[in-house]
Amino acid sequence: MNRLRLLFLTPAGIVLGALFLAPLAIMLAYSFLTRGAYGGVTADFSFENYQRVLDPLYAVILLRTFVMAATATLGCLVLGFPLALFISQSGARKNLYLQLVILPFWTSFLVRTYAWMFLLRDTGLVNSALLAAGLIHAPLPLLYNDGAVFLGLVYGYLPFVVLPLYATLERLDKSLLEAAADLGARPWITTTRIVLPLCAPGFRAGALLVFIPCLGAYLTPDLLGGSKTVLVGNVIQNQFTTARDWPFGSAVSLLLMAIVMVLLMLLIRRGGEKLI
Amino acid sequence: MTRRSLFLMGVAGATVGCSRGHTQRLNVFNWSSYVAPDTIPEFEKEFGVRVRYAVYESNEEMMARVMSGNSGWDVVFPTNYFIEPMRETGLLAELDHRRLPNLGQLDKPFQSPAWDPRLQWGVPYMWNATGIAYNKKFDPAPVAWSDLWNPALAGHITMLDDPVDVFAACLKKLGLRANTRDSGELRRAQREAIAQKPLLRAYLNAEVRDQLVSGDVLAAQLWSTTAQQAIDASPQIDFVYPREGFAVYLDSAVILRESPRKELAHELLNYLLRPQVAAAIVVAARTATANGGARAFLPENIRNNKTLYPSAEVMSRGEWAQAATPEVQRLRDRLWTEVKSS
Amino acid sequence: MKRGLALYAVAAYAFLHVPLLVLAVFSFNSSRFTVWEGWSLEWYRAALHDGQLGEAAWNSILIAVASTLVSTIVGTLCAYGLWKRDSKWLSGSLYLSLVTPEIVMGISLLVFFQWMFRFLHVQLGMHTVILAHVAFSLSYVVIVVMARLRTFDASLEEAAMDLGATEWQAFRRVTLPVLAPGIAAAALLAFTTSFDDYVITSLVAGVDSETLPMVVYAMARRGANPVLNSISTLIVAALGALILFSERLRES
Repeated sequence: MNRLRLLFLTPAGIVLGALFLAPLAIMLAYSFLTRGAYGGVTADFSFENYQRVLDPLYAVILLRTFVMAATATLGCLVLGFPLALFISQSGARKNLYLQLVILPFWTSFLVRTYAWMFLLRDTGLVNSALLAAGLIHAPLPLLYNDGAVFLGLVYGYLPFVVLPLYATLERLDKSLLEAAADLGARPWITTTRIVLPLCAPGFRAGALLVFIPCLGAYLTPDLLGGSKTVLVGNVIQNQFTTARDWPFGSAVSLLLMAIVMVLLMLLIRRGGEKLI
Repeated sequence: MTRRSLFLMGVAGATVGCSRGHTQRLNVFNWSSYVAPDTIPEFEKEFGVRVRYAVYESNEEMMARVMSGNSGWDVVFPTNYFIEPMRETGLLAELDHRRLPNLGQLDKPFQSPAWDPRLQWGVPYMWNATGIAYNKKFDPAPVAWSDLWNPALAGHITMLDDPVDVFAACLKKLGLRANTRDSGELRRAQREAIAQKPLLRAYLNAEVRDQLVSGDVLAAQLWSTTAQQAIDASPQIDFVYPREGFAVYLDSAVILRESPRKELAHELLNYLLRPQVAAAIVVAARTATANGGARAFLPENIRNNKTLYPSAEVMSRGEWAQAATPEVQRLRDRLWTEVKSS
Repeated sequence: MKRGLALYAVAAYAFLHVPLLVLAVFSFNSSRFTVWEGWSLEWYRAALHDGQLGEAAWNSILIAVASTLVSTIVGTLCAYGLWKRDSKWLSGSLYLSLVTPEIVMGISLLVFFQWMFRFLHVQLGMHTVILAHVAFSLSYVVIVVMARLRTFDASLEEAAMDLGATEWQAFRRVTLPVLAPGIAAAALLAFTTSFDDYVITSLVAGVDSETLPMVVYAMARRGANPVLNSISTLIVAALGALILFSERLRES
């Protein structure tokens, strides 16, 4: 048995080793080197890059990224749970409704972001409609602010919470709900007191699936935020382009990775969904 | 069945992918809207080659693609202040003037520019200044950078998403040199940028063009070329060179050191220097050419265009951008991150 | 409560679908701007006659097919191997690659390819993009196939081996057919994520590998553009059709 298993695992080991772990190792090495005068890397060992990460400026950016990612995650969970509940209670149509949630998610993230740029412009449909209805007299500044970034992130990642929540709801022991109903609990009470707590694993998995990509987001703040705010993703991207400071960019990337790893460990420790 | 057909598709794709490229293929990466529609096809026909032509929107975008030194591009068009860092990081190939007989067509000042006095690294292509593009609804019309700090226009102003341009405007507003190396002056400029930020709609590059035309944006810091494109699209738009002074840039055609087709790359550079070719590009893309010989082929209305070819009096307020020292670049970058984070 | 939930669901589905529908409707608008002027196929004509777009679409398909093929095969084998007995190292790495932010993964690959260039003269191009896509879609494939394996009864394989099948035969003849729907779902996921990726692709792409998302991004950066509306609609329609087709296939 073992030989076949080894044979089966080897290709994946090679792919992960060469295309995931080795690049991270090189980045780790870079993060301890010094940037050249005009970019590039010189072989002077230093901890300077990590000291710079601790600079209050980057701490504030990191904090802002956390707040943005957390709000977007919360938004997704709040909006996603009733939807998952609705789907799990709709009997024969379940599959159709689930597909309808996933469908926009299959399509390009960029297209979905662009769709909101198109809607939120001063001359976009939302403003035009409000103007035509006489509700406002001048276009509202809907695009290029944190609200638009939040909207873009929630729109982009909503399916990521609906799926795990739905999966947990499906596995819920239905007899518990019946018992609650038999004892006279109203649906609202059953949902908040029984269903909600039992969905904890789904919430955890969904939160992680949204929170992590939001931490690294840089397209959304650029396109919907009008480059007026910086998140960690923008800092990283900037170090590798405008600033040409690869060692510092590597250090920030690795810090982000470290945070992600800690979150992942916490989730596994708390007994989250086992995926692999 | 599906698996097999999927596999066949993959094999077919791979063969097609390999069989392409028997004729020589030159890879050219240029700014968007920076050639005439037939510039490249004519070159292909004349030299019997194929050109892969792609466009970018900012120097950073270009740098991100070519900095690895194994990108596959042959010719790119960096702005003058990018030439020094690109040269220092070993990205550029030295030009062979014997292969560029048309260099003599360049305007005198561009024969020996300060950043590359012997034209060793780049062929001056088009130049551009940063000023204010505005909607004529904006009353009174802006004349100075300080007009972009007008609270009455809050939410309808944009600045370029580029630290070099934004700091240049702030420094000029303060009456300082755009190329300053003084950290105190840069910090003062940063305070201006932070004070302006609440009034801004966004930091946008070329994408502001459509928003100017549609009226979403009333005033924007913008390059003269892009502004002219907006003016062509709408009679409501105009452009002004700010009173306090402004930065001027030149985009050069350079050959990357990694290029295995340097001869052909030189042919392209020499071809772009032909007066008729350069003139056709100016007409199509609305740019200011560094090619003196092309002027004779330009129609009257472009030669006298105040946006593209400002008068000598206006140009005297311009300041050519220089490459920042690594220290200045580093400081400016940090200050810029602080502006964005404020 | 039930009615409230249904009402909410209607609003949520509207939130999910209306933006894309609006985009689709306006792709048929004859005006450049968000003012309705009448039906027109002008922007579709412009999109279909754009040589660069065609090439980018072809590149995207090529890259997606190649990377899907590799990651599906490697991922399926890996999932099976891990199902037999877990390997802490491998599953840990897979988890980690699953949660690595895209920008970090893209930049580490760029740094890696640039470093390799010094020794092997690897140019950035189609192959580096395909390798990068294999790297990030592998964990998706493993997860999806693994989910299917969890519902698979191991005793079936044992029975086959008791009847004289070798391990390989048991895998090939018994397990693999049962896994087929899972593998198909995994391949579909790998294909669509590859087709959609911008962040990583833009970092490791060379001259010959400009993909559709890269063109879409460049156009979005240049501002609202009716041609972009039509391209977006085509992408959504094409992927929608692919998904429906695969659903049919699974049912039959």
